[in-house]
Amino acid sequence: MKTPALELINVTKRIGNKEIIKGLQFTIDKGEVFGFIGPNGAGKTTTIRMIVGLMSLTEGDIRIHGKSIKTNYKEAVREIGAIVENPELYPYMTGWQNLKHFARMIPGITDERIKEIISLVKMEKAIHEKVKRYSLGMRQRLGIAQALLHNPSILILDEPTNGLDPAGIREIREYIRALAKEENVAIIISSHLLAEIEQMCDRIGIIKNGELITTQSVHDTEDEEQSEAEQIFLFDIKPAKKAQEILESEFDAEIDHKDGILTIKTSRKKVPEMVKTLVKHDMDIYQVATSKSTLEDKFFDLIGENIIE
Amino acid sequence: MSNFFKLIYNELFKIFVRKSTWFMFVALFIVILGMGFLEKGFGDDYTSENWRAELEQENKELQKDLEEDDMEDSPFYDFAMSTIEENNYRLEHDIMPLSTGGWSFMYLSTSFLGLVSLFTIVIAAGIVANEFSQGTIKLLLIRPIHRSIILLSKYIAVLIFGFITAVSLLLLSLGVGGILFGFEEHIPAVVIDNTEGLTHISVLKETIYQYSFYSINLIMITTFAFMISAVFRNNALSIGVALFLLFTGNTVVQFFSDKEWAKYLLFANTDLRPYFDGKPLFEGMTLSFSITILLVYYAVFVILAWGIFTRRDIA
Repeated sequence: MKTPALELINVTKRIGNKEIIKGLQFTIDKGEVFGFIGPNGAGKTTTIRMIVGLMSLTEGDIRIHGKSIKTNYKEAVREIGAIVENPELYPYMTGWQNLKHFARMIPGITDERIKEIISLVKMEKAIHEKVKRYSLGMRQRLGIAQALLHNPSILILDEPTNGLDPAGIREIREYIRALAKEENVAIIISSHLLAEIEQMCDRIGIIKNGELITTQSVHDTEDEEQSEAEQIFLFDIKPAKKAQEILESEFDAEIDHKDGILTIKTSRKKVPEMVKTLVKHDMDIYQVATSKSTLEDKFFDLIGENIIE
Repeated sequence: MSNFFKLIYNELFKIFVRKSTWFMFVALFIVILGMGFLEKGFGDDYTSENWRAELEQENKELQKDLEEDDMEDSPFYDFAMSTIEENNYRLEHDIMPLSTGGWSFMYLSTSFLGLVSLFTIVIAAGIVANEFSQGTIKLLLIRPIHRSIILLSKYIAVLIFGFITAVSLLLLSLGVGGILFGFEEHIPAVVIDNTEGLTHISVLKETIYQYSFYSINLIMITTFAFMISAVFRNNALSIGVALFLLFTGNTVVQFFSDKEWAKYLLFANTDLRPYFDGKPLFEGMTLSFSITILLVYYAVFVILAWGIFTRRDIA
């Protein structure tokens, strides 16, 4: 079996008597983009801090390409590039000076490499300005630049799209996908913007109160279309009321009527039959759509309300 | 190894890229310049022709003062007596007193060594605490370098800063003195009082001695400020406590001087000069005693700073 890029084994963190992280266990493969979501206070940032070595583990272990963060810190951390919370850089230095500063801490980073990264995050123009004059978006880009300087095989981004404009978000998203696909970098993204996660990630882990509730592939919903499982379909029909009566009499389905739209819970197979029946009864069908259960719905289904216990 | 030098370079870069650091050196220059003009206006101006006559004149006046008022207990008495003694020694050995000149002025600069401590404390107090207040500590500590090494690079950067500041004081005062007054023909000598009575030493030598002995004080107080910075992550607290110690340390030692335990206080031991002049602060203190005490304090500071900094969770 090949070693996963990142492996959390029964990771537990206690501060005083309070158990903040309760036995987290998951792995991330090379080239995978893993979304880490959960409500505020769920333990996302604490987990990330343990992965990068800023916080100690009470129990368990974190292995990076098989190397333990506890016993092989230097080699494990060398593989990681990260932004933890906001990208806080030295405000009194220029972007270039900041990157040089971090480059000096790891052997083998040339000026060419720094320039390459700068053009990658499109910061050529402002790189010689002081960071205190940067907008949040520019700081975010510089933060990503410092995380990528040493070609890490694992990239950890805490809220990476925070403060970026829509164009910037799209760029970052495309860049993250490219990094994962072309350079086989494993990427962990934590976010509260679920729509962002959905578009960037291969898999998500949902964390609540320090426990990993579930990990699930983002593309599951597409596979479900072929299955027998019941889904929600929306029928835009006139007259809706009559249509409801017809369908209820001929099919075994849960049907709701709201604002002229029928919400029907049934299996995909039955949809064409329903449409045929409705046409036979001379109903006007404007639209039939599947209501895909989005990640956001799943998120709220799984964690319930945004309550911090 | 070259990697470690890069870390020290990083820390020094962060110190010297800030304008506030340069203000310190500007302040140092202004203080020295001000002192220079004061000296030019009010300083004693002996020449190789007139100094013998002037010293004799001064002695006569002091003698007269002493005879007129009967005040053996006043501090003026001691001052007058030691001045007369020194003047006689100079006349006897044909040593011209310090005058307005570059070398003498450099010697006067030793009275500003406190500024070197002040500035170095400010840097030591900020070097760890600022990383926390800026939030940059997170990006600093996720590199493949052990925390103890990062802390060591910061500590060495502080010591280098202290050294640079002390050398600046020395060279600036030499330069300002030289420009304002020119240099004396011969390097003048100061008269000092040690166990064997009065003796004399060239100002150049004496200045170097004073700077060297002061460096022990500087290292101890700076290490203390650095420790507070690393442990409490608070810039203001660190500056405040260290400066308080710096300004009150000697007073506290004097205040408790009749207590048996006073000789264990840090500031009772930071000045090692008396052991070479033969006058220890307290009965029974020896050079090796003071060095032991200093090493114990130093070890406590270092263990606290490194012990806590390397184990702490960065939140």
